[in-house]
Amino acid sequence: MPDQQPNKSPQDIGGEKAGPIDTVDHGMKFWERQANALRSTLTRAGIVKTDELRRAAEDLVNNAQLEYFEKTTSALRTLMIEKGYMTDQELKAKMAEIRARFDVPDEMESPIKKGAKRQ
Amino acid sequence: MSGAFIPAPAAHPSTYTPAPGHRYNVGDRVLVKRRFPPGHRRTPYYIRGKTGVIERICGAFPNPEELAYGFDGEPRKVLYRVRFAQQEVWPAYRGPDRDIIEMEIFEHWLEPA
Repeated sequence: MPDQQPNKSPQDIGGEKAGPIDTVDHGMKFWERQANALRSTLTRAGIVKTDELRRAAEDLVNNAQLEYFEKTTSALRTLMIEKGYMTDQELKAKMAEIRARFDVPDEMESPIKKGAKRQ
Repeated sequence: MSGAFIPAPAAHPSTYTPAPGHRYNVGDRVLVKRRFPPGHRRTPYYIRGKTGVIERICGAFPNPEELAYGFDGEPRKVLYRVRFAQQEVWPAYRGPDRDIIEMEIFEHWLEPA
């Protein structure tokens, strides 16, 4: 291992101290099931590839702070914008619309908010 | 290697898909390139610069380091399963010298050892 570790990414944790491992099955939250279904559908349709999702997840600036489905969903967001299926503005507008519809407070933590790459 | 024991590869390693034109054969000693390029890389950081032995030729597959950026991954790259002694991988490893770790590494990350 070099003294300096150039281009070491969040996934490069082999050999590092990991601490205790949480082995409790926490199940999946409702939004996680939905997001996972979307990811699965887009993968099966050939619109996104697993390798692309991994790359986009590794590149998230706040990767270490995110939970698993927050990473995959944020990566999906990156790819859908990258591939031109939607723009960041369209996504933000839609999120604002849905928040208003369900009266969701704007300060609520969302994976998109936490995972968003600053443009 | 300072005496680290590398076990002999399996006598009849399987091949999953054809890999014509492969550079290495079962039993060859290889060095994982000690390079740290940016981007999506499919070779674990901690194995770079380590020496192992080809355990089997897994086949030829689209290059995931290209697939990761939306390209088609062609030309395909030959994937090998490489066997390392744990004592080679982790300098402070205290287990017996017969302990190994195997991982699959693409040809462009390997050079002859």
